[in-house]
Amino acid sequence: MNPLQDGLRLEPTPGPAILVIFGASGDLTRRKLLPALYRLSRDQRLPARFSIVGVAREEFGDQGFRDEFLESLREFAGVTHEDEVAHSLCERLHYIGGDFQNPAIYQQLAAQIQTIDATGGVLFYLAIPPGAYPNVIEQLGAAGLATTTGPGWRRIIIEKPFGTDLRTARELNGIVHQHFAEEQVFRIDHYLGKETVQNLMVFRFANGMFEPVWNRRYIDHVQITAAETVGVERRAAYYEGAGALRDMVQNHLMQLLSLVAMEPPIAFTAESVRDRKMDALLSVQPLAGEHVVRAQYRGGWVAGAEVPAYRQEPSVAAASTTETFVALRLQLDSWRWAGVPFFLRTGKRLPKRTTEIAIQFRRPPLQIFKRVSRSSVAPNLLIINVQPDEGISVRFEAKLPGTRMQLAPVMMNFRYGTAFGGSVPEAYETLLLDAMLGDPTLFARHDFVESSWALITPIHERWGAEARATLPDYEAGEWRCDESDALIEREGRRWRTL
Amino acid sequence: MENVVSGSSREALLPLGKEVPFADIELALGRSGLDDGKRAPGRALTATIVVVGPHARLAEAAQSVEQLTDVGVRAILISNGDNPSPSVRVLDHAVAIEELRPEYLNNAVAALRLSSLPTVVWWRGGNPEMLDGLAELSDRLVLDAEDPADVWSRVNALSERTATSDLRWARLTRWRALMTQFFDIPEVRDSAGGFTRLTIDGADSHAARLYAGWLSSSLGWTGGVAIDVRPGAWTAAVQRIELGNGDHALTLALGPSGRCIQASAHVQGYDGGSRVVSLGDQCLTTVIGGELRIRSRDQAFERAVAAAQGVA
Repeated sequence: MNPLQDGLRLEPTPGPAILVIFGASGDLTRRKLLPALYRLSRDQRLPARFSIVGVAREEFGDQGFRDEFLESLREFAGVTHEDEVAHSLCERLHYIGGDFQNPAIYQQLAAQIQTIDATGGVLFYLAIPPGAYPNVIEQLGAAGLATTTGPGWRRIIIEKPFGTDLRTARELNGIVHQHFAEEQVFRIDHYLGKETVQNLMVFRFANGMFEPVWNRRYIDHVQITAAETVGVERRAAYYEGAGALRDMVQNHLMQLLSLVAMEPPIAFTAESVRDRKMDALLSVQPLAGEHVVRAQYRGGWVAGAEVPAYRQEPSVAAASTTETFVALRLQLDSWRWAGVPFFLRTGKRLPKRTTEIAIQFRRPPLQIFKRVSRSSVAPNLLIINVQPDEGISVRFEAKLPGTRMQLAPVMMNFRYGTAFGGSVPEAYETLLLDAMLGDPTLFARHDFVESSWALITPIHERWGAEARATLPDYEAGEWRCDESDALIEREGRRWRTL
Repeated sequence: MENVVSGSSREALLPLGKEVPFADIELALGRSGLDDGKRAPGRALTATIVVVGPHARLAEAAQSVEQLTDVGVRAILISNGDNPSPSVRVLDHAVAIEELRPEYLNNAVAALRLSSLPTVVWWRGGNPEMLDGLAELSDRLVLDAEDPADVWSRVNALSERTATSDLRWARLTRWRALMTQFFDIPEVRDSAGGFTRLTIDGADSHAARLYAGWLSSSLGWTGGVAIDVRPGAWTAAVQRIELGNGDHALTLALGPSGRCIQASAHVQGYDGGSRVVSLGDQCLTTVIGGELRIRSRDQAFERAVAAAQGVA
């Protein structure tokens, strides 16, 4: 027990730890992990005894990895080469190069951990292609690195995608659980590290005024949108086999849906929160064919630049039927949500980069202003902006100033950027720290992953059986997608204009 | 403006603000940004900060609170004085009242603070007896007197009424966190009983005493550790802290840039080398902005202040 911890203003920091990054030369490491570790170090969130061991195929050596680290900070965090914090952290970087399939790598890693600090915690981070997960996990287990008999701990962070369908997710969970207990496993979904996503729980469960209306009596429907302006960029090899449904819906959108739909947990503990999220997911009814639509973007204009059709993107098959857009209508079979549809949509090359949850409330039961006001009454709307402008907005009706009774919708906005000041931590900072502290609240549990695949897999199987030569399309840079619009409009509702 | 009492000329607080009668402050706040054709930006309000002190120390604070009003804080600056008709200026979400008589202070705060949101009083000096009334009106009291002796002696009593802290304490946060992280290492905890000397170099002996008080109260020192506070010709409030016994030491030292702290631990069975972490942004706006985020009572500070008073 640390006698100085009591009353410390900074958040608790983990005990002594080593972070082992598999895929140390990859894009995720350079763009996200290393800048996040720098910021954590700068803000004193890392333990006094802390080291990073990078593992990758390239033969960098320690110095090469340190150079890569400084370069990634310059490129992705705007940190100069002279930065004292960066140089200090640099000295704690080590590197092991070689093939992940080679058992000697793991013996070398074990020796390295022994040399640095065998008594602290070790966090393995799999920032590698998903196909390599089973082998690395097996090798860690075989080398005795998944467990410790000492006072420290062993944990593993696994990036998405966790499997490609229900069968592979179960297989992967099986392999993981052969070597790691569930409490050692942190399946990362970076959406859960975002402030607004965490704030959703605070908004719902720390405020007495919202929860009473958070149900089928007051809510008409829910829309969850994750829109990207980018195309596949350098991820075509992965994306061709994944598509929007696997890439976004199975993980990010299901997480958001479960946070909106969950019952109140009995406490803010990892298991209680994850149990309630799991309940919400289990209440989602199997998806009927007419409740899922997919499409692929054709050429168009995004942010003032002409962009090619998906099939003309580099490394994409000329006859590809991979969906770049998907929209779903979900029904939750629960007391709270019976009859309230949840509409989800996500796509690439849309006009705007935004992720939001929109709760649309029912109109007032009696339209008392119908005779005096020319304008119709817009339903109340609660919008939770997940990115890029994190915050919460409420739309309600107000009287336009003047002698006549005329109504107009107004928006009341709360923005993290202006309400509290200071910088909002990046999702990877929050999640890396939580994993080192052993708090799995913001990570996906094995049963959640499998249940979300159980919803998604039958859709893929149906699509596979259809074997269509072409998909419906939508113009890059436009919201309009006929199939998606029809999905929501057949019930007299409309997608929000974003 | 002309100081009625001293006759000296000095810059008004919130010089760009609109001068209004005391009774019209609320109206002026409500119309802020409208009279000149601008629209006040919509924002979520989060707190009221009341800054009280002598005029000279409020000018510096005024710049900080102007920036805080950009993030949803209503700022009220009140300089101590004895003017029966105090000057009032309003700028966006900030109000400056100059030379307010002490007997009007509580009423001014009660009238101008935002209802139902936290009120933080930032005390930059004045008659310490006024603190009792302010403590009743505030959710948090942040002490920031040049010579804290008079106010620190009241901390225990003030803390019974409201959460009380000190800006010196806030500025020591990073130094405290680094020392705390040393104690996460088992070998350091094992060695702690053998430490016999704490040396603190820095320009601010009050800050040094507070730090020593924190260590003393947290580690339960009962006289076995010699405390050496060495104020010198340093530019930084704290320059170097060393806790050890001659052979082994935990050392924190300000780096050459003045923006980072170098931390090193050499104890029995552990030689961790050194690492450098950021001192953090120490500008007044950031430090007081950080205080606005804290709501709870700070008992570690209360114990540290009590112990600091025994440090020579």
